[in-house]
Amino acid sequence: MKENKQITNIFLSGVGGQGAILASNILAEVFIGAGYDVKKAEVHGMAQRGGDVTTHFRYGERVYSPLIKQGSVDFLLAFELLEAIRYINWVKPDGKILINNQKIFPPAVNLGTAQYPDDIVGTFKSYFKDNVYVVDGGEIAKKVGNIQAANVVLVGAFSNFLPEISDEQFVKAIKSLLAPKLHDLNEKAFYEGKKAI
Amino acid sequence: MEREEIVLGNGAIAMGLVESGCRILTSYPGTPSSEILPEVVRRVKAEGLNTYIEWSTNEKVALDNAFAAAVAGKRSACCMKQVGLNVAADSLMSAAYIGNIGGLLIISCDDPGPHSSQTEQDTRFMARLAKVPVLDPADPQEAREMVKFGMDLSEEFQIPVVLRPAIRVCHARQNISPGPIKISEQKASFEKNPSRWAATPKFRLKLHGELNLKLKQIGERFSSARQFNFHNLEQGSHYTLGIVAGGVPSAVIRDILAEEGRDDIPLLKIGTPFPFPDALADEFASACDKLLVIEETDALIEYLLRDRNKVMGRLTGHVPEQGELVPEVIYGIMRRVLKDLGLKPFLKKEDRDVKELVNGLGLPVRRPSLCPGCPHRASFYAIRKASPKAIFTSDIGCYTLGLNLGGVDTCLDMGAAITMASGFYHAFSQDEKKQPIVATIGDSTFFHSGTAGLLNAVYNNARFVLVILDNEITAMTGMQPTPGIGIRADGTEARPISLERVTKGCGVDFVEVVDPYDLKGMNDTLKKAFAYTEAEDGGIAVIIARHPCVINNRENAIPERIRVRVTDDCTSCSFCLERFECPALYYDDDLGRVNVNRAICADCGLCIQVCPQNAIVEVKEL
Repeated sequence: MKENKQITNIFLSGVGGQGAILASNILAEVFIGAGYDVKKAEVHGMAQRGGDVTTHFRYGERVYSPLIKQGSVDFLLAFELLEAIRYINWVKPDGKILINNQKIFPPAVNLGTAQYPDDIVGTFKSYFKDNVYVVDGGEIAKKVGNIQAANVVLVGAFSNFLPEISDEQFVKAIKSLLAPKLHDLNEKAFYEGKKAI
Repeated sequence: MEREEIVLGNGAIAMGLVESGCRILTSYPGTPSSEILPEVVRRVKAEGLNTYIEWSTNEKVALDNAFAAAVAGKRSACCMKQVGLNVAADSLMSAAYIGNIGGLLIISCDDPGPHSSQTEQDTRFMARLAKVPVLDPADPQEAREMVKFGMDLSEEFQIPVVLRPAIRVCHARQNISPGPIKISEQKASFEKNPSRWAATPKFRLKLHGELNLKLKQIGERFSSARQFNFHNLEQGSHYTLGIVAGGVPSAVIRDILAEEGRDDIPLLKIGTPFPFPDALADEFASACDKLLVIEETDALIEYLLRDRNKVMGRLTGHVPEQGELVPEVIYGIMRRVLKDLGLKPFLKKEDRDVKELVNGLGLPVRRPSLCPGCPHRASFYAIRKASPKAIFTSDIGCYTLGLNLGGVDTCLDMGAAITMASGFYHAFSQDEKKQPIVATIGDSTFFHSGTAGLLNAVYNNARFVLVILDNEITAMTGMQPTPGIGIRADGTEARPISLERVTKGCGVDFVEVVDPYDLKGMNDTLKKAFAYTEAEDGGIAVIIARHPCVINNRENAIPERIRVRVTDDCTSCSFCLERFECPALYYDDDLGRVNVNRAICADCGLCIQVCPQNAIVEVKEL
């Protein structure tokens, strides 16, 4: 058996309602299908009423805990800009970052009592250089036919980081989790996302 | 082998319950336990099993019911969140003495953090207090195995068994293969035996002695329960440091030790912390100079280890006494202990630069809010408008978020909106001071713990306005039915309980039902209610603010979509942002006024009634 050292850590962050949990379930199907041990941790309850939502996702030969340590994230998949920068210190120095180019203002910003941070992508690039990728998930999803599919667009873009997994494996996982009437739309969303970076 | 599934921890617990032959399941929803019961319903339906499942009105009711079924010989289980076990404590303490016939498993889910609870209390201590065995799983798969083990143990020793999964077990997911289902054919029977089932104090002393004997035997059994309690000592080796851990932290530590390649630090993992597996712990302790104990949330194992001089943990200041033991915290604890003991440090260095960067950015927090279109927002807006100087006692549920609108001043426990309202009333009226008080409580919370407090308040002549926020569902925990709506846990029809009749039955003469979407009607009713609380022949006024939850029942919550826009009449007074606090309204820097976020607007149209400048208007076409 391989050592635990080879655990890969994926951290998903966003705002309640953006579909981050479905995205992590797609990843789970994919990696279980590929024969890995998978553990993930989600946030439910109070945090879902418009709060920030995070999912820890880990796969490897043998994973004991679902929790990722700060500073050891291999891939950050952020569904919103502020929720990306909030976790910048979770990413390891050579980690890769995929950000959905969307701003959802928290209440304090709505009220005008707090500032939404400037140039989040620039801050990421100053630390992580070429490992920072930005995708307009919402725009692409709209073009495909439904803004709700933005999460699957992001999964498509994210799949570029995982060359060991085939597109077919992703599409199969997406279909296994969605109602048949949504299959075509989301398959398209996946491939459009894949082309986006 | 059947295909592996990615299963939520609570789903794995449900799987274990079905596989263990559980025939009766009762529960009251509460994060992080809420998904267990619906998952059992799903699996029972899929397998065509004859299992009785109920959402009970509260946790004590749930445990009493499950206990009776276990006394009748059925394998039974009862699940709740950790603070729910406080409500069921009366039942638990007594049930421990009396014992059961069929297995009785109590699942109480802890919330270190806390993420979604009032306290970080440790269920293992409740089990210790009640003198019943407690099992502490490290991950979903172990939780499922412990369900089956616990059910068998409970039946063998005729003692209730507690399973304590923490939130990171309940809401973790992992791949699991389904196993065989035990079909229990046990028929209900009851053998009269008053000295046990209705024991008087004299017999209770005897039962206590029997309980102590059971615990002694179970403790010995636990020392050999190597599937849950194990260590990796090399025979004959001696170690400077050993780690003793249970639950989720034990899994984190196994990952850290493997990642750092630390064969010089053995781990004793304890899955059955009470009764404590003394023999196994002694064996481990004798091979180590020092023992670092890492457990959630309190210090139970640490107290139970016999050689106190070796132990490092919460009592010695090595482990934080509050908060979740997430990997970076455990890393920090271990780093410090390695240094103190002069052991080889970890390979991984701390990455300080970026950490300081995040602290320096002053990022705005994203506090949770009531959803766009939520009827509670309308209620709180109206309540605050009708009586800005009132004390607002409130309760546990989505509507605690009414604090964002300045409509919630207190939140203590389930039902305390009513009991604290009467407490405040008596405190102020003693000084002959007129203090308006408005209590807000949800429908499910009212059914859970409202009536006893309301009866008490009526009986003792308290005066306040009670608004029951009836959104016809238990929303915060994930849309479980309430006794008010006529649906049972398995989707079958129930006899609906009328809030009007219950409150009138509690002796309240002023009971009015109003739709909070009608802000004017709500305001008028509140004024009438305040007048009633001050009238000579008045009393407690109950308003049932009834409107369906916008998430659970959008069709009926917003039958006609009212699309709104903000006109240039907006003066940026911020009234709507501060007092109505709808997430769909925001200050638009570019326009220099308030704007509507179409992506999240629910089209409820309520904000039209709120704007003092009449600058929010309905648009027929966008």
